[in-house]
Amino acid sequence: MARAIWKGVIELGRHSVGVKMYSAVEDHTVHFHMLHRTDDAPVEQHIIRKDTGKEVGKEEIRKAFALNKTTAVLLEPADLEKLVPPESRDIHLCRFVAPSVLSDQWYERPYYLGPDTDEDSYFALVQAIERKKVIGIARWVMRKKRYVGALSALNGYLVMSTLRRADQVLSFSGVEPAKTAAPQASELKLAEQLVSSISADFEPEQWHNEYRKRVCQLIEAKARGEKIDRHVPKKRAPQASLAESLRASIAAAKEKKVA
Amino acid sequence: MPRRKHSPPATAPEATSGAAVRSLWSGTITFGLVSIPVDLLSAVRPRQTALKLVDKGGHALGRQYRCSKENKRLDNDDLVRGYETEAGKMVEITDAEFESVAPEMSADIELRNFVPLQQIPIIYFQKPYFLAPAGKSVKAYHLLAATMERTGRVAIGSFVLRGHEYLVAIVADNGVLRADTLRYADEIRTPGAMDLPKRAKAPAKKVDQIVKEIDELTRGELDVAELADQDARALQQLVEAKQKEGDSVIHPSGLEAADDLEAPAGGGKVIDLMAVLRKSLSKNVRVNNAESGPPIDLAERRARKQKATAKSPSRKRSTTPRKASRKRSGRA
Repeated sequence: MARAIWKGVIELGRHSVGVKMYSAVEDHTVHFHMLHRTDDAPVEQHIIRKDTGKEVGKEEIRKAFALNKTTAVLLEPADLEKLVPPESRDIHLCRFVAPSVLSDQWYERPYYLGPDTDEDSYFALVQAIERKKVIGIARWVMRKKRYVGALSALNGYLVMSTLRRADQVLSFSGVEPAKTAAPQASELKLAEQLVSSISADFEPEQWHNEYRKRVCQLIEAKARGEKIDRHVPKKRAPQASLAESLRASIAAAKEKKVA
Repeated sequence: MPRRKHSPPATAPEATSGAAVRSLWSGTITFGLVSIPVDLLSAVRPRQTALKLVDKGGHALGRQYRCSKENKRLDNDDLVRGYETEAGKMVEITDAEFESVAPEMSADIELRNFVPLQQIPIIYFQKPYFLAPAGKSVKAYHLLAATMERTGRVAIGSFVLRGHEYLVAIVADNGVLRADTLRYADEIRTPGAMDLPKRAKAPAKKVDQIVKEIDELTRGELDVAELADQDARALQQLVEAKQKEGDSVIHPSGLEAADDLEAPAGGGKVIDLMAVLRKSLSKNVRVNNAESGPPIDLAERRARKQKATAKSPSRKRSTTPRKASRKRSGRA
């Protein structure tokens, strides 16, 4: 059973809702070791001085803030200690917005929030968020770090997703296709037909990590000492015109549906 | 797609200078029989507060790989990945073998279906990447972006990068395609895994009261100040104070980030995002960043201030809104 990693209190006007936080994700990644190619010995990572190549011990390592490429300010552990935010259990809600206001780029890591003691208040908050169809922008301090998150409701429970910081997220403007590259109305129509012919609902359960399975099979085969066949990727056929490719794709998608 | 209503306050000319990001993969999006060559670029920049590694004396530090048997220094080319089986046996797997497992997946992102963006729960989104057109013709790229924006749908597909398969949603955002990696369903816990109490209907009166509180706090837009990096402000003050003292100012060469997530093994080439997109996609592309404070380096800031006062008054005015937004971030 997954255990809570933190306890906090959501502050919303005159209401306080105690919550327990749980990681919402489980890592299923296949982890590899780094080996030396010629003798298969494990690889070690060392911290070295760049100018002399000499190894530096842990107690010698400091952090610095770079002002530019050649100037930095050295920060001693005591300096960094001063930057640690004061401890608190409060989860402060700054505002609520429609989910569409926040682009997907901001979302980093999701956590479930479960009720701490007062289940009535907890489920009242869930159901109020569900009714308003909003997300809350929240701030809190956890394990000596500041976090910004989006509070949402999912299947009757609260989910807090940590957000990236404003300086990390990039967006664009001013994209205008050159005349020769602008899609024509007829092409847009065909493309929309093709999109609608392969449209579906989002069903995450239908997506499996096929590659992970095949890598595991490869590892097992190699561990048994089997030889591995090398596949050579096929060359792609030269492309017809955009409109022709679209028409052929629509026809192929239709065939698939009938079959 | 009506997804980004917040307009980043990127009015100052400095804020739109190109962003340095990493180029990680080249491949082809296939959409029916249409194929679009693309380069995958990281879309998340390290935080401004990312610190660099130095030693006590202020010399730049770096990471080095060494063979545990021979104690010899190794380059990226000397490395190979290995997997330790449950029996404790180390199995070496070469890059060619990784590719041979699924050759088509290593080169293509096949768009297998188109789904409404709002159907993907927040919990699935993992990490965003930009896709820059890599072929001679950008027509198909523009066509796919325009079609997705018009239909409000995003494409789901998968591809393989460095020995891992990624499930992605291809999202069109203001004419630029993004590949947002998604978690697989089996990586997301269900409430049952935490033994959360059964869903219960809350007292109606209590729900109404909380709805009122939510209404009072509901706004039409985001405030970027609320999403700003508050650590950056505290760090800035500390750095400024130490800069004035002078003792801690150092001049190392070849600084390396203390926690650069993409580096060091085959982190990909660092490129200027705006330059790449201007060349490959559209000549007037601007890269916007929601937050970009004034430089922390006191000398640089003084130089910039002097430059600004020497120029026409209209230039001066452009710095005012930025100052205002910094004040807001202090209050949040």
